[in-house]
Amino acid sequence: MQKDSHDNVPGLANWLLSKAVRSELHEELLGDLKEAYGARIASRGKAYAALMYWVDVIHLLLGFSSFPFFNKQNSTIMTGHYLQTFLRNFARNKAYSFMNVLSLVVGMGVCLVICQYIYFELNYDRFHDNYRNTYRVIIEEVNTDLKETSPSIGYSFGMSAKEEVPEVKRCMRIQRFNRGAVVTNPVNQLIFHEEVNDVLFVDHSFFRMFNYPIKKGDQESLFDDKYNVVITEETARKYFGDDDPIGKVLTINGPPSPGDYTVTGVLKDLPLNSHLQFDFLVPIENYIEFGWGGAVKERGGWNGFSVATYLTLDESADLDLVCQKLNGLIAQHNDKGIVKNVILQPIADIYMKSNIYSDAGFINSTGNMQNIRIFSVISFFILFIAWANYINLSTARSMLRAKEVGVRKSIGAFKKQLISQFIFESMLLNMISAILAIGLAFLLLPFLNDIIEKEIQLSLLQNQMFWFWYLGIILFGSLLSGLYPAFVLSSFKPISMLGTNKTDRIGNVNLRKSLIVFQFLTSLLLIAGTYLVYKQTSFMKSQELSIELEKILVLKIQQTTIDTAVVQSNFNSFSNAILGRHIVSAITSSTVVPGQFGINQYRRLGQPESAAPYTRSIFGGLGFSETYGLKFITGGPFTEDMQEEVVIINESAVHVFGFNSPENAIQQKLAIGNGQRTIVGVVENFNWHSLKEPHVPYVISLTNVRRNPYLSIKMSMSDIPESLAQVESTFRSFYPDQPFEYFFADDTFNRQYQSEVQFGKIFFSFAALAIFISCAGLFALVSFSATLRVKEIGIRKVLGADDRHLVLLLSKEYVVLISLATLVAIPVIWYGGSLWLRNYATRIHIGVDLFVIPVMIVIVIAALTVSQKTFTTAQGNPVDSLRKE
Amino acid sequence: MENKGLGEFEELVLLAVCIMAGDAYGISVKKEVEKHSGRSILLGAVHITLYRLQDKGFLRSEMGGNTEKRGDRRKRLFKITAAGMKQLRASQDVRQKMWKLIPQLN
Repeated sequence: MQKDSHDNVPGLANWLLSKAVRSELHEELLGDLKEAYGARIASRGKAYAALMYWVDVIHLLLGFSSFPFFNKQNSTIMTGHYLQTFLRNFARNKAYSFMNVLSLVVGMGVCLVICQYIYFELNYDRFHDNYRNTYRVIIEEVNTDLKETSPSIGYSFGMSAKEEVPEVKRCMRIQRFNRGAVVTNPVNQLIFHEEVNDVLFVDHSFFRMFNYPIKKGDQESLFDDKYNVVITEETARKYFGDDDPIGKVLTINGPPSPGDYTVTGVLKDLPLNSHLQFDFLVPIENYIEFGWGGAVKERGGWNGFSVATYLTLDESADLDLVCQKLNGLIAQHNDKGIVKNVILQPIADIYMKSNIYSDAGFINSTGNMQNIRIFSVISFFILFIAWANYINLSTARSMLRAKEVGVRKSIGAFKKQLISQFIFESMLLNMISAILAIGLAFLLLPFLNDIIEKEIQLSLLQNQMFWFWYLGIILFGSLLSGLYPAFVLSSFKPISMLGTNKTDRIGNVNLRKSLIVFQFLTSLLLIAGTYLVYKQTSFMKSQELSIELEKILVLKIQQTTIDTAVVQSNFNSFSNAILGRHIVSAITSSTVVPGQFGINQYRRLGQPESAAPYTRSIFGGLGFSETYGLKFITGGPFTEDMQEEVVIINESAVHVFGFNSPENAIQQKLAIGNGQRTIVGVVENFNWHSLKEPHVPYVISLTNVRRNPYLSIKMSMSDIPESLAQVESTFRSFYPDQPFEYFFADDTFNRQYQSEVQFGKIFFSFAALAIFISCAGLFALVSFSATLRVKEIGIRKVLGADDRHLVLLLSKEYVVLISLATLVAIPVIWYGGSLWLRNYATRIHIGVDLFVIPVMIVIVIAALTVSQKTFTTAQGNPVDSLRKE
Repeated sequence: MENKGLGEFEELVLLAVCIMAGDAYGISVKKEVEKHSGRSILLGAVHITLYRLQDKGFLRSEMGGNTEKRGDRRKRLFKITAAGMKQLRASQDVRQKMWKLIPQLN
């Protein structure tokens, strides 16, 4: 057979065919199938070919099958009989059967959706053909005992790696537009702000290294000119509508390389599971030449301004050896004396295993392995709850079928046959549920997408391995849940079952009870988890931040004029005009907004560069501390007479730089690179970032408005539409060429808690489903035992028992079980809760409410479930129940 | 017509086998029938029909050459038998006779 991986026909289908069809037919059938498959790949693509392959195989199976299953008369008769028995039993007890199937369907459906989510998260960037040998270069700096990793490295590194290390087949460098850009289509005057990550500088090798399909344009000549741009389908629609964008011009306005770019290519919309999400690609030569006002070129591209580098290695390359060679390359050009090691990170790992802070700017979002683990455990727990229901209900119901088993046994059924009958039933029920569960998964997926704000499809269904597993898990589950009832039922002695009195207390009551405890334990834990996540999130949101975010309106602005003085004076007149409006009390410009930051290495003047700690940096204009309400311990805000060489630091920074006290820090010098900065103020620690983290050192540098893409305006919020209209009209008169785009600072700040909110929502859904399934099982079980005891209750009633006592009699068993679940749950909640809370610098204390509230919820829901049935049973007329015999 | 009748699809397949003259196997027959009838047909249907026709004695078959396209597997090549030819002619005759009897076409 051909060993070309692209031409592989679906192996599972072949296997099926070879098992089911007479062997003398194999050669020609498989040959024909393969030929048709090849032709279909060429004409309609791989997915279509695989699908049709399956259709053909199934069709052939039906036509030519010699599978024993279809041919053996005897077992077919028994199977038919089992099926009939199953259907009769199913129909006889509709409520019970419905509950059973429903809980299985829900359990499996949830499990499927979560598997799909995990599959999506774990398969980032695997659609690239050579994802296995493509790596991103990560630089690990060993610096004052601290290891810092980051993808940033000088632009010359990649090129010389390709030239000097023979294993490197391809190199690609990537950088973003420093501060986003304003993009205009000059023909129809459509104008939009594009964010930093939307516009990327890349090498031409980008299109060979990655498989982003090109919809229009010639791959070879995409970047023939420096002012070429490749856009995505979506962007093409945004700027050009239905027109053909090729050869048209887009004006990209923003540092470092504003200009008119000609569209040379359109990429198909990016796969959702790509860690790079961009709208525009422009040649990286622009960045190297113009970046940071030409400063990028200054040091020969080895230190200082950096790009991220991706390498494709030869398939046979030895990773360690390549790393050594790359290390050597860096050492040759390293003049700072800091040890730098190269780590090659497989691109498929970038999404899951990146540190979002050091990657800031290179990646939009990262996955969270902890969440994935938690979710997969929980989804399997839910599946187990559903199976526990099955076990419970079928053993509980066994007394009803005891007579059937007795008759079968007395006319000569083997125990083996009985076991296979009950396992057959369990499999059938599981299969039906499994099919319905796929339908449910389709219904549930939009809800999940809504929560996680992605557009996941049920792509798992196209994966053959998935079907193997799905089938496997369902078979395992059917055996697991079918075996016990099957053995219990088949081991009865016929004589005792055909007699009339020994109908109750069959099967192991303890097992049933412990399964109920397990179900309620799980529900309790999930409810407690939901409550904990919710409480922690709202606690963080309600904390004092020591900065003021509520009234701040942020405008996006791109300075398109090159002349700094013009930009400054225009901004000054805009500020004055808007401050004169009375609704605005302060205004400033900055590089970042709350929740974002840059990282820089400032050090105390006189200390070596290798001792410089990483500090977070904010570049802000005049009025920064006033607008954001920073509280000064000593010193004061930026003033107009200051040059761009002053900084304000926070308390943490005072300690990190080693000053004795805030007062001692004033007027001291910090060094960065070859420059110097004077400290003019020290402020209290403030929460520019989420409260997940502790306070960290911040350095706020005074900077010119030209570099700042955000204007923060402290505005009166009493009449928002009116205030906004006023700001907009002022903005338009001073910046007529800019789109008016704004947001509120507290919104972006709270988006940092997005992952907690999502986590909480998913947890909540899990909890709701778990308790739903448990209660479905409980309800069926209670109704069952109530029916069994209906005579006992009748007699008790005749003898004078009142309704309340009867309800108590029927429910007390479950009260005991739930109390037991509570006892087990408390230490688990306490331990798990404290473990989770350790992720947060600012966190709640675990109080009694964390135990009491979930328990109350479970008790109320369980009581409602149980009492509904027990009340009707207890209130029934004893005549009805005693009369039947 | 004889008692071993030909279904419409069977007839198409039989005709295709005749057209292919010696190179008739699953895929080629499928393509030929699709080409002339303009509808899309499942591979399995062709195979099943070919075997049914062979069982009726209208076709005979032998294993033929292999190609790389097929993953080095041989084809089963079908040929029409004398009985098959006769059957085909018979059904053609029936039609011809009946067509002639339609009044407005004369």
